[in-house]
Amino acid sequence: MASGESSKFNLHATYLKNLQNHEISPPLAAILSLSELVVNSGAGTMFELVKELHEGAEVLKKSTTNPISLNAGCELFIAFVTLFPHESDSFAELKSELMRQGQKYAREAISYRDKIAELTLGFIKDDSVILTHSYSRVVMKALLHAHKTKRISVYVTEARPRGLGIKTYEELTAAGIPCTVVLDSAVAYVMDKVDFVLVGSEAVVESGGLINAVGSSQIAIIAKASNKPFYALAESYKFHRLFPLSQYDLPTHNPNILSFRSPQITAAQGSASGVSPDNQTPAINDISTFMTPAISSSRTMSADQIVCNPDVDYTRPNLISLVFSDVGTLTPEAISQYLVAMFAG
Amino acid sequence: MAPAPSLPVHPPNGPTQAPADASAPPQQRSQKQMTKAERRELQEAQRAAKAAAKANAAPNGAGGQSKQPPKAAPPPLTAAARKPGKLADPVLKAPSTPGTGRQAHARGAPPVAESGPPNARGLRIFSHFGLPKPVSVAKGDIHPTILRLALQFSNFKITGANARCIATLNAFKTVIQEYVTPPNNTLSRHLMTHLNPQISHLVAARPMSVTMGNAIRQLKLEISRMDIDLPEQDAKDALCQKIDNYIRDRIIIADQVIEETATRKIKDGDVILTFARSSVVQKVILGAMEEGRQFSVIVVDSRPMLEGKRLLSVLSSAGIQCTYVLLPALGSVISEVSLVLLGAHSIHANGAVYSRAGTALAAMMAKRHSVPVIVCCETYKYSDTVQLDSFTKNELAPTTDNFSSFPLVKSRDALLIQNQINLEILNPLYDLTPPTSITAVVTEVGVIPPNSISSIPVALGRLL
Repeated sequence: MASGESSKFNLHATYLKNLQNHEISPPLAAILSLSELVVNSGAGTMFELVKELHEGAEVLKKSTTNPISLNAGCELFIAFVTLFPHESDSFAELKSELMRQGQKYAREAISYRDKIAELTLGFIKDDSVILTHSYSRVVMKALLHAHKTKRISVYVTEARPRGLGIKTYEELTAAGIPCTVVLDSAVAYVMDKVDFVLVGSEAVVESGGLINAVGSSQIAIIAKASNKPFYALAESYKFHRLFPLSQYDLPTHNPNILSFRSPQITAAQGSASGVSPDNQTPAINDISTFMTPAISSSRTMSADQIVCNPDVDYTRPNLISLVFSDVGTLTPEAISQYLVAMFAG
Repeated sequence: MAPAPSLPVHPPNGPTQAPADASAPPQQRSQKQMTKAERRELQEAQRAAKAAAKANAAPNGAGGQSKQPPKAAPPPLTAAARKPGKLADPVLKAPSTPGTGRQAHARGAPPVAESGPPNARGLRIFSHFGLPKPVSVAKGDIHPTILRLALQFSNFKITGANARCIATLNAFKTVIQEYVTPPNNTLSRHLMTHLNPQISHLVAARPMSVTMGNAIRQLKLEISRMDIDLPEQDAKDALCQKIDNYIRDRIIIADQVIEETATRKIKDGDVILTFARSSVVQKVILGAMEEGRQFSVIVVDSRPMLEGKRLLSVLSSAGIQCTYVLLPALGSVISEVSLVLLGAHSIHANGAVYSRAGTALAAMMAKRHSVPVIVCCETYKYSDTVQLDSFTKNELAPTTDNFSSFPLVKSRDALLIQNQINLEILNPLYDLTPPTSITAVVTEVGVIPPNSISSIPVALGRLL
């Protein structure tokens, strides 16, 4: 059992190591780590191996608060392993073959973004104004690729609480693309100036809907109301066999999100007396001593308040115009057909 | 039986009737002088008289056909004995009423045939709906099991797409086991000609369900694939085994997988709304209960069948908190609902779900209130056709006693509205839920959006 424990520990470490690479997204990191697990596993039969992979996937899932995209990668790899033809002479050989295939896939998968950028280019007209949300590697690639041949300007949302929109802004302005950061709450204001919305994705689910950084859903709703196209970019390894019925049916949802705190505690926090958790109080005090009055600290969300908010949300398929992926430009309906064909077959 | 010459066209009807009725020739001559309406009236009267004769002959016919029936005999007899009593009333009235009775026109044997010509014209668009009608004398060599099943179908003793399909397949197993290949024939080539009249007898009793159609198509395929050199008993056993496998794989296990998948969508604190009764939905709800979820159920029901009562009694006896409302009250309860679970008769290639009348209303209402609508449906209910409305194909619900479930303040006769002239009772049995008002379809291959249902046969690489 001890060896098993150690290999699991390695798995998580490998996963984190893989993630260090800027080009590698969570699903690919999961595929790479699982293919290393295959070689390191002591499994003697296919059944044991698949069982071990499932356990490994569980370990990875538990290690993060947002397992959705990681899960898509694990699922893809396990499906691949179970369907892989057994032609090798020995099981050890099969395992190393599986690892080679996994690594080969990950190498190829990195180039998927270029393919998507090329597909997206056909939909970007000269002098387009594009709204994007938060930071996404594939959207960056598409925008930078479009910049080579077309004049584009970009609005990017700030994307609170992580503020990744600023990162997008910095990279785009560095590349010479006119870019403005807008408030998350100013999306409706900016929408009439925009030609289309372009977002990345955490996962594309079976309904044809999209899971992405929180705020995507409301952008899609506003785009729909203003009759602006809403395009999502997703590599095919982000296609996930999951069918959320609503926002609260996502695996990331937990009872803590959107929960109501009892009024006394909130009031106490407002008056900055020490009822709040220990790690909170110093932070607030720091800000209030550093910034001018206590007002500024009470007007931004505390970490405690942010915890009650979701990281990702679910965009319904009827709000999405098209999904660009390396397997082609798909309508939301085609996504689910593709997924049924991929996993049911 | 009526189905073959069922087209409501005049010329074919005349000749078919002529040999049947001794008094037909002279009347036919005079038909030239009659107006169109008069001629039709005459035809209907003749047909009604014929149907009455048929219906009266039915018990004898059924008894005569069933040669030493082991255990199938009592039910057909009792069921058939009940028939004439039910029928006597309208049939006797038919000749006396001046009206034509458009239903009679459509299908031949009229259970009710009284409605004035102006009214009849107004409702003629529904004349193609299959009518629940009495099983008349069996044509050809019909197996007693099939006779019995046909009666159960036409009396709505067996309802529900799954139940009817299983019952049909089990009956066919008996038929196949008792079948003897005639000399100079092979089983794989002759058995189908033996089964075809059995199938048409069932269809005459009640239009075939999509599930039965799919299962029978599969059975035909298996029969034609049978090796000619296989000994007869082995071939029969193999076929029965195939039927058993079909029932197990496509219905029983499929239901278990659907139950597992759909149960996961039920969360603590949910309020689940369901309409009428579906065997799969019942299993899902009970499954969620067994897993210890805390939820309550609203059973929406509708006349005339009031099938939800059965679901209600099952669920409430299992200890689930239930609310029972009729369809008009749907608007009042929908705002509390967090999930709608529905069953299906069949699902069409465009994702439209054909189900008990009222389902579409529940689904659309839920959609309007942004409540997720889940349809539980095995893949063998898939029909390759596209249906756009519920008028092109439908059935009529049995004319039951509409008032048996209500306290009576008037005498029952005063309430029996179908006796009135200028009044047509229309109870369509099914309606069509458009794919736009369905969130997801739970099948044994996974949860899919309704408009992707047509990709499943392609993905699985098989005929459904």
